[in-house]
Amino acid sequence: MQPDPQLVQLCLRGDGPAWEELVRRHTRRVYNLCYRFTGNGAEAEDLSQEVFLRIYRTLSSYRPAYGGFATWLTSVTRNLLVDHYRRTRRDRVTDSIEDALPKLEEKHSAAHPPDRAALLNELSRQVQSALSQLSPELREAVILRDLQGLDYREVQEVLNVPEGTVKSRINRGRIELARLLEQMGLRPE
Amino acid sequence: MPWTCAQIEERLSEHLDGLLTREERREFEAHVAGCARCAPLVAQVSGLVGRMHALEPLEEPPQLVSRILDHTLGPRAPAQTGWAKWLSWMRPVSLPRFAMGAVTVLASIFIVFSALGVNPAKMTAASLNPVSIFYNANRRVHLVYSRGVKFVNDLRVVYEIQTRLRPEAAPQPAPEEQPAPPPPNPQQKSEHETKPGQTANRYATVLAIVLTINPGGSLR
Repeated sequence: MQPDPQLVQLCLRGDGPAWEELVRRHTRRVYNLCYRFTGNGAEAEDLSQEVFLRIYRTLSSYRPAYGGFATWLTSVTRNLLVDHYRRTRRDRVTDSIEDALPKLEEKHSAAHPPDRAALLNELSRQVQSALSQLSPELREAVILRDLQGLDYREVQEVLNVPEGTVKSRINRGRIELARLLEQMGLRPE
Repeated sequence: MPWTCAQIEERLSEHLDGLLTREERREFEAHVAGCARCAPLVAQVSGLVGRMHALEPLEEPPQLVSRILDHTLGPRAPAQTGWAKWLSWMRPVSLPRFAMGAVTVLASIFIVFSALGVNPAKMTAASLNPVSIFYNANRRVHLVYSRGVKFVNDLRVVYEIQTRLRPEAAPQPAPEEQPAPPPPNPQQKSEHETKPGQTANRYATVLAIVLTINPGGSLR
């Protein structure tokens, strides 16, 4: 498997298969970030497409010396998500709560105990529902750290804010998320 | 100086991510162990973080990659895998004109091989030697020629016999114009009317003709 910077060099020389490989390798990461941030599959799909279009056009501005390709890609995605959020700002908090509560009750009254996969799916859905109630600053920090697996330095690079701010946002985001999930009926193990 | 509840809440994530110094961690744990307010919070957030790290990434919609590639590289042929790829390679073969061509080529090869006397089932490297190909071809040509000569000779014999056996088979007047049937002639009678003695006589005649025309030869 060729490393990302090498694929980028091939892409810049007009190598179609190298670009295809790059897209296949990173689509899931970008889609997940978009989905976790927007909470909407169709929007996440459109945004992912937009991210790769932008990457394709600005590939020559990527410098391996600045950091990993994945981090650069995440920065581009995050900037696009923020733009998108500003464009389509609206209050979805009440909708999310109303969506989440009846589903939780249904699950609790189910006759058969759900299996592990179903529990994980349920957790994923609850986390999603709680994330949508966080402010965008806290939401992106928690998604990047805990769902995308970036370390503090990478999160700092992507968000382009001081180290202290990163620590504080991740921490406040987690605490708020835990409280929201507790309100939704999710107990710590 | 012991930590306050506010400090614990503030440094909670750093503790979970292992970013505290040994000294700080000791202070942190000492406070949490004895604080009824902080202990559940730490447990709650720690449980959530653990479970979020365990969450599998969501699968992207299957058409997303092709959509992206279409918008960047331009429309491409649909991605093919496994059988589809194999069948797409086979597709030109299934065209009628290709099948026709293939059959023609096979037939030509068969004809050339049989003309050269090469048996594909028993073919060895030696059969491809120009000398043996020439020898075989020469042999085949002579064989075919001699068979042809023999066939023509045989035809001649048959024709001669037929004409000798029916010397009066020349044009005859139509039956209704004849006032009376001609006197019976044993050689003109149909076979089922022929008597055994006459049949033997006819065979002797044929043999005589054959020996005259084709002395030393044989009917094949």
